[in-house]
Formats: sequence, C-alpha cells, structure tokens
Amino acid sequence: MSPLRVTKSRDEFEGEIYESTVVVEGRDLAAPRDGAAGDEVGRPRPRVDGRARVTGAAVYTHDLHLAGMLHAAILRSPYARARVKRVDASKAEALPGVRGVLHRFNAPEVEFRQEKALFRDEVRFLGDEVAAVVADSEGLARYALTLIAVEYEVLPHVVDLEEAASPRAPKIDPDGNVHDAGSYTRGDTRRALREAEATIDVTYRTSTQMHNALETHGAVASWDGERLTVWESTQSVFGVRNMLKDALGLAPAQVRVLCEHMGGGFGAKLGTYKYAVIASLFSMRLGRPVRCVLTRREENLAAGNRSATLQRLRLASSGDRITAIEHETWSNSGQGRWAANPTGPTNTLYDVANVSSVAHRVTTNAGALSAFRAPGYVEGTFALESAIDELALRIGVDPLALRRRHARSRTDPRTGNRYSLKRLLDCYTIGAKEIGWSERRAGGTRGSAPHRRRGLGMASQIWGGGGGPPAYATVHFETDGTAVLRVGVQDIGTGTRTAVAQVCADEIGLRLDQVRVRLGDTEAPYGPGSGGSVTLASIGPAVRLAAHDARAKVLRAAAGILEVRAQELRLERGMVVSEGARTPLGDVMKKLDNSTLIGTGLRHPNPDGLALKTFGAHFARVEVDLRTGEIFVEKIVAVHDVGRIVNPLAAASQVQGGIVQALGFALTEERIVDRGLGRVMNANLEWYEIPTAMDVPEIVVRFVGAPDRRANNLGAKGLGEPPIIPAAAAVANAVANATGARVRHAPMTRARVLAALSMAGIA
Amino acid sequence: MSLFSYTKPRALSEALRLLRGGATALAGGTDLVTLVRHGVARPERLVDLTGIEGLRGWSREKGKGIRIGALTPLADLETSAQLAKLLPIVRESLRDAATPQIRNVGTVGGNLLQRNRCWYFRDEGVPCWLKGGTRCFAVDGESRYHAVVGAHECWMVSPSDLAPALIACDAEIEVASSLGRRRMKLADLFVAPQGKRRREHALREGELVAAVRVPEGALERRGTYLKAMERKAWSFAIVSVAASARIREGRARDVRVVLGGVAPVPWRVAAAEKQLEGTALDDNACLAAADTLLDGATPLRDNGYKVTLARELVRRALRSLAG
Ligand SMILES: Cc1cc2nc3c(=O)[nH]c(=O)nc-3n(C[C@H](O)[C@H](O)[C@H](O)COP(=O)(O)OP(=O)(O)OC[C@H]3O[C@@H](n4cnc5c(N)ncnc54)[C@H](O)[C@@H]3O)c2cc1C
Ligand code: SF4
Repeated sequence: MSPLRVTKSRDEFEGEIYESTVVVEGRDLAAPRDGAAGDEVGRPRPRVDGRARVTGAAVYTHDLHLAGMLHAAILRSPYARARVKRVDASKAEALPGVRGVLHRFNAPEVEFRQEKALFRDEVRFLGDEVAAVVADSEGLARYALTLIAVEYEVLPHVVDLEEAASPRAPKIDPDGNVHDAGSYTRGDTRRALREAEATIDVTYRTSTQMHNALETHGAVASWDGERLTVWESTQSVFGVRNMLKDALGLAPAQVRVLCEHMGGGFGAKLGTYKYAVIASLFSMRLGRPVRCVLTRREENLAAGNRSATLQRLRLASSGDRITAIEHETWSNSGQGRWAANPTGPTNTLYDVANVSSVAHRVTTNAGALSAFRAPGYVEGTFALESAIDELALRIGVDPLALRRRHARSRTDPRTGNRYSLKRLLDCYTIGAKEIGWSERRAGGTRGSAPHRRRGLGMASQIWGGGGGPPAYATVHFETDGTAVLRVGVQDIGTGTRTAVAQVCADEIGLRLDQVRVRLGDTEAPYGPGSGGSVTLASIGPAVRLAAHDARAKVLRAAAGILEVRAQELRLERGMVVSEGARTPLGDVMKKLDNSTLIGTGLRHPNPDGLALKTFGAHFARVEVDLRTGEIFVEKIVAVHDVGRIVNPLAAASQVQGGIVQALGFALTEERIVDRGLGRVMNANLEWYEIPTAMDVPEIVVRFVGAPDRRANNLGAKGLGEPPIIPAAAAVANAVANATGARVRHAPMTRARVLAALSMAGIA
Repeated sequence: MSLFSYTKPRALSEALRLLRGGATALAGGTDLVTLVRHGVARPERLVDLTGIEGLRGWSREKGKGIRIGALTPLADLETSAQLAKLLPIVRESLRDAATPQIRNVGTVGGNLLQRNRCWYFRDEGVPCWLKGGTRCFAVDGESRYHAVVGAHECWMVSPSDLAPALIACDAEIEVASSLGRRRMKLADLFVAPQGKRRREHALREGELVAAVRVPEGALERRGTYLKAMERKAWSFAIVSVAASARIREGRARDVRVVLGGVAPVPWRVAAAEKQLEGTALDDNACLAAADTLLDGATPLRDNGYKVTLARELVRRALRSLAG
C-alpha cells in the first residue's frame, strides 16, 4: 500500500472551481472498460428504499415526534422593509403552554450567514424572521404568534429587479443595489461585433422560480446537556452541522445531524436556515426536543428561490461561424449575498473565439436566493440557446447545424484543459434522429387542429458533475455474510442509496439485497452535500475501493476457514466459489465468531489538467394554438453524456424529473410579487403552478453511456442538474419554429405567448 | 385561524334556524375551511349541511326539467352517464374544475357560493376594498387574472366553472330560509360588488340554496363549455365560455353565451345573444357577438390578453354548436 500523502484537489461545484487540501492513501482502481457491465452496475434497479417510501414506513423529518417534544413557530415580518422598534411578547409568554419567546431584544448573539444577529433590527423582506415561540403544540405556538405586538417603522422598499437596478430606487445596501458578480473575457468581442456580417442584440427575462420540494424545510433539535442532535430535511448533513456549530458556538463533535429520508431539496437544502438555529436554541434552553418546520407559505417566502434575471445578449457571425458572444446579466438575489451567475454556458459551451460576459447581483427586499438545480445555468441557457436560434434564423442556417459547427473543441476554453471526455456531437446525432429533426421546416408545419402549428426546437447543455474528494466509505460484514456500507452522504431522492449499494454489491460479489446502506449521519466519515451533481461521482469511487478492500479481506478469511488458497476463491452473488464447491458467505462468516472484516475506501483526486464536464442536448416537439397562445409540449427527447450509467432506471427518472421541473420554469412557474406591498401573492400551490401529470409530455431518455474512464474509477459523472438545463430553451425554440414568434420571457405564459404572437402580427 | 362552534343537524328546519341566528353554512368545506385557516373568514358558528336528508342527488321530472340538490357532490354530476346525456354541458364544465379529489367532496351549492380567488382577497394581510378596506389593490397591482369587464370597485372574477354552464341552461335556484322558500334565477345569485354591497352573492342572511333547477326547455338545446387554463389541469379558468343554442335548419335560436373568469359575475350580455338569433353561427356572427360581449372592456395592466382569449373562445364555442 502506498503511503499517505497530502495533496491539492481542484473540483468544480455549480460552475465554480474550488481548490482543497486532501489526504490520499493507497492506490486507485482503474475504471472498467466500455461495455463491462456487472451484475448490478449498469442494470435497472428499483430503489432499495422504494417500498418504505411508498408505503409510508420511511420516517421523514416532518414525521418525527419525540417524547416530550415541543413545537416552535416563527413570526415573520409583514413588511418588505422596516425597523423593529419594540416587541411586546408578554401576552404570548403568559399563555399556558408557551415555553419561551425569542426576538431581537432577548435572543443571544448568533453568527449566521455572515450576520451577527438571528433577528435583524431592520427586517429586509416580507417573511424575514422577527420572533419565535416555542409551545406544547404547533397550533398553540402559531396562535401565540398572533399575541406578540411588534412596533415597526416602515422603510421604503424595492422588490422588482429592474426597479431596484434603476438609479431612482431606494438604496437597500449602503453601497447601492447593483453589485459585480463576476466577469470573463477572451478575444475581442467589440472588434468582432464591429466586423461581423450579422449581429443580433436581444434581451431575455426569466422569472423567479421557487423550489417547492414536497417536504418543506424543517428540523427537530434535541440537546442532552452535552451534545445536540438535529434531524433535518437536508441535502447536506455536514453542511448543516457546520452552520449550526458556528451559530451556536459548539464544537463539531457536539453536533450530530441526521437525515435518513427526505422529501426533496433541489439546492435549497444545502445549508440550513434560522428555523434550525431557533429549534436548537430552544432545545438547549429547555432541555427538550424542539420541532420547527416551515409552512408552504414560509417555504416560499424565506427558504430560497431561483433568481429572476434580465439578460442582454449580443451575437456576431461571419459566414457560418459565430464570431462573438457578449452577455450581460442582472440577477435578483433578494437578500442573498451572491448571485447564481447565468453566464457559465456562454463562457464554456461553444467554440467561439471572442466572448465577454458580465454578471451583476441586484439586492432587493425579497427572500434570498439559494442554489436551485443548476443555478444560473438554467437561466443562462434559456437566454443563450434562444439567442443562438435567433442568430441561426437571421443568417438562414439550421440551428442544429450551427451548433454542431461550434461544438467540436476538445478543450475547455476557460482553462485550456482537455476534456476527459466529450460526446456532445453524439448527443446531437442521437437526439436529432429520435425527434425526427429532418422533418423540421423553417416556419414550422401544420398542427393537429385548426389554428395550430407544430415546431421542433433543441438546445444544448454543459455542466460540471465530476465530483471529487474528500469522500469516504467503509464496508463491514455481519456474521450472516451480509454487508453494511456506511457513507457520509444523504439521499436527496436521486437514488444515491441504491446506486452505492449496486457499486458495493458488484465489487464484493454480493446480491443487492445483501448490502445495507447507512447514510445521512455526521457520525460517518465525511461525505459531500448532494448538490452540483457531485454525489455519485464523489462517493461512488470511494465505495468501490472500500468494497474492493472488504472483498480481499473476506476472501483471505474464507481461504483460512476453507483451507484453500485465496487465489482459488471467488465471491459470486453471496457465494464463496472454489473449484467444485459453492459455500454461502454466511456459513463462512459464522465460523469467524465475532471477528469483523472492515474495508475502507476514499475518493482520489481528479486527474490533473483535465476538464470534467457533462454534456447533453434536448429536443422538443410542440404545438402552439395561434389564437389562444396555448403551448402543447408533445415530446421531449433528452440525450446526455454523463459517463457510465450506474442505474439506468434511476437515471431515466432523474432526467424525467429534471424535464418536468424545467417545463414548470418554461411554461408556468413564476413568483408574483406586488411591488407596492412588497408581497409575494402566490406563496402557495394555487397560483404558483407547478406541472401536473397532465402537463407531462412523452419523454424519451437516451444516454451516450460511454464511461469516462479518466474521470474516476467508476467512469461515472453526475446527472442531477444536466436534465433541467436545456429543456426550457428547447421548448422556446420549438415555439418560435412553430409560430414565427419569439417569446423572450420564461415562463411563457398565455399572456406572453399572445403578446409575442401579436407583436409578430400573428394573433 | 379563529375559534368557532360546529353543529351538524339532521333536519333542514334545524339548519335554517341556526342560519337565521347568524351561523355560516358549511358544505364540503373545500373553500370555507381554507378561508378560515387563512384568517379571511372568521365564522363564529358553523352549520354543517352534509347531514341533512334530501339535499343530495338529482332527479328528472317529466316536463319539469332537472332538479339538483345543493349538497350533491360535484363528482356525482360529472360521472353520471344519464345526466351527461341530458345535459352534457355540466360534465364538460366539471371535467376541468378543480381536481377529482375536490370534486368528490365539493358540492354544487358550495361551488356556486364559493368566494373569489383574488390573491389580495385571499391574503389575510391585505385589507382590500372587498374586505372593508379603502381600495382595490389589483387596480394598480398584480392583475393578470383579474376582471376585464363589468367591474366597479372590485376587479375579482367569478371563479366557478359550473355557474356559467348552468346559467347557459337558464337554471334557477330554490332558496330556503326559516321564513319560507323562494325561487330565483341562478344568474341573479351573482352580483358585482359595488357601493355598499361588498359581496359577490345575493343571498340574504339566513338563507341557503336548497336546489338548482334546469327547465325542460334547456334540455333541447345544444351546449358546450370551453376553459382556458395556465396549465393542463387543476387551474381556475383564465377565461371560460358556456354556450348553448337550439339549431333549426342550420339557424341558431335561444342562444346563450356566458363568460367565466372575465368579470365579477358570470358575464352575459343580452344584446350579444340577440344578435346571434337566426344566424348560422358563422365566424363573423360569432366574432361580432364576442365584440358585443366584451364591449366596454377596460383591461388592467396585466390582463389585456384575456380579451383576445375570450373572443376566440366565444367563437370556438359557438362554432362548435353550429357544427
Ligand atoms: C385547489 C382548488 C381548485 C379549485 N379549482 C376550481 C375550478 O377549477 N373550478 C371551479 O369551479 N371551482 C374550483 N374550486 C372550487 C371548488 O369547486 C369549491 O371549493 C367547491 O365546489 C366548494 O364546495 P364545498 O361544498 O366544499 O363548499 P364549502 O367550502 O363548504 O362552502 C363554500 C361557500 O359556500 C357556502 N355554502 C355552501 N353550501 C351552501 C348552500 N347550500 N347554501 C348556501 N351557502 C352555501 C359556504 O357558506 C361557503 O361560504 C377549486 C377549489 C380548490 C380548493
Ligand atoms: S379585486 Fe376585489 S377582492 Fe381583489 S383586491 Fe380588489 S377589491 Fe379586493
């Protein structure tokens, strides 16, 4: 075994490159060859926890009711901006069953999200935390909130992106509302624009999308006098632990975070929010478990969103080459301190010599953004890929042919590094065939009913998803010969639990039902958050190494018991196989008394000097009713190049889910805020319309499937984000093809489609 | 959420006595309960009508048309093959109303008397005109789903899918109170809030709707219902149209056109219907009638598209009666 060493690792997370110091031990395994399927990996497997989830046996944070548990509820600001001058909680405190009230005048100092106070003296969005009550029941806690009298001094606010960016807007931040959020250049776009044969200059808008995971944010905190245990609906148990230990001034070892099952996160649950700090503070004060879960309304006011954007794109071309792209963006970050930069795809997707992009973050009196499934890339791809089609139309080139010409490069233009694997052209070929691209006609074709036109559109996707260290796994055997796999990740709903079990079973030589996965617990060695499509590509290789180690040990032990040489033994689906004999592993293990065999594995760093990316393309076929503006998405073909597919069934479901969520973004999902009141008018599921089963088109999922053997020992990359990225642009392009009208604002509601049709002289 | 008392009487007379004393009627609760939960309605006493015999189910009496009990679940109407033969427009209007689950619980009376869905109205924190405040926030606020025509102080729209369909069938309602019974046209149940009248319905204190009646004559007319939604299911109408007519030798008689989602009441204009009498319901006649229906429309900032949409749906609905 090679010695332990300390090294640097450079990994991508949600479009940004991060460098970290990692410890490496031992040697990595080579990735399996193309077409080398195991008994489990590469085969469609239903989720190992599927039965528990659909029968209701799975316990989610919301379901947890501990003995003696109290309930906390939060009073939220009814104003978009105000100074909290006085809080009188005496009536609430006097109510029998109320156990405590916290507000800005009595709460301890807490470091949270770069602020020093849990409750702001100036509340800065409608829904900002003002006070919290803990009581014997949730109903009582919520009733007690109505008894708290708060005196506010209302201040001028601004909630709308474009209003906030205008010089006349009230300054929310002392240094103005518009901040730099990154820029990038290569070549000379000004010159290329000047010298171009054709240019376009277009503005796009995307509205605020809200996550609306099935399970709202929530936590149950329990302090035992020395240590805090927190059950939280989270996509990063370690992320929650970090934030809580800092907020509460505890040592890492004093905080344990658990998440066995969770009802979705989509990026909004990578860290935690004030409700978990509130539950913890109350628990530490009262010595009883405290539950604090958000209502749907609170979820949609104060637990993250995808920023609205305004984006201006200028494209230049000469002959059949795109010569320049200029992209300037403004994102409504609300009270967030960062922006999900929409220019990532512009900077990296196509071989264009001259690129310049500038991103701005705009502060408003609205809830902070949070990561939302491909943050920035969804918004940016909608604009970029719409613009590519607009340019193609202008210069009379087939939009797919135009993309093909700019998708050949083998190196990442931003770093100059070679791609470990890039099969974007294959995605185009597979998708074009599947949708029938050759039948696409400029101007669309006749639809299936009077006044309906049919069109085809497509768009491409680039995203990271290579994962990286640190990530660890251990495997040990029970005396019955089954294995327990421990990993420090959680299953956000993507099927991580099943995928790691498949990897483990195959590597050892067990049946899938002989591997039990323990995850969602900070008592395990570290695992990454389930975000940025990094989970499987980070933890999977560590699992494989741990399983490999465990297998070697168990074979050696079996050799001792069976009195044969280890080299003569194999493990096949739970059986120890030697020449002429098959012995169940359990029979061997029984003879070992309580000796326990433990395999360990870690994630090795990514290869130096290579760019790990995922690519893909979506093709859409739509019909549009020219008189009513109704869009009928008939079919989406999704082709992704994400390396080896560990579980084709789960992978297909990932893609379907991504597309459905993208269709919400494309067609109906939009936070509506009254500017005067600063109020979200649809913080509910009535007028915030997520797609229903009836809105889901035929979806065809294809994978290039070739393992990325340079990426890691599984040859697998991530798939969480890729499928949400290109669908909206593909639909917008299909709508434009069908109708001749371009809708430049997502979601493409009736009002916007009808307006675009009427602008184009059609409706 | 406020505290309230709850009674579930078995006799209609008992319910009427309680209503007279100021109690609020509760049917399926799919609307009222959410209003209470969100602090918009604050009833002190609830009378659950679902235990009363005789208010549920529908029947046909020869020559006298159809009578539908007010407590009939929407799903019963929607799934009845017999009713679909007699009055297909009812099934059409319910097919896209709410969800199957809500239709199982929600009742005919409750659907007609449901409160409007204006997001300012439904938000406890907004003291708008209809709730006794001084102004309508939709007028210069977020108005994409609000009224384009027929509004006075309040720009909400009548949300029911069933109401336009039944009005297009000349439906009447039986209203009961402890003082007796009266009949009125269903169309007259709906009133645009105006002046001192800050409500959507014309029921008096202590009254309930016992039944809906569709006269025999309406059964001879063809009818259809079209609904435009933002997504393909589980949405209130952006615009809807109920139309019915008798077609004799290719000519339309007794035409009714009622719009949902565009005005504070199910929107009907006598002149538009008259204009269509005797026509072949050709495109020009249909569009001219649509223009009459929408004459005087004054869209707000965000809802001008509803006029385009309504025109086209009116044309399509009427054309389909002809064909
Ligand atoms: C998510 C959702 C989506 C919906 N979508 C649609 C839609 O697309 N189209 C549509 O048409 N509707 C829709 N609705 C409304 C739904 O149809 C109504 O909520 C339902 O029909 C109300 O019936 P209920 O029996 O539950 O009424 P309740 O909630 O019990 O009562 C509603 C109101 O009517 C009064 N009331 C009830 N019965 C009587 C009576 N007999 N006499 C006098 N007053 C009475 C009550 O006092 C109360 O004010 C939707 C509702 C929800 C929750
Ligand atoms: S439309 Fe009516 S209910 Fe809505 S805000 Fe205006 S007055 Fe209130």
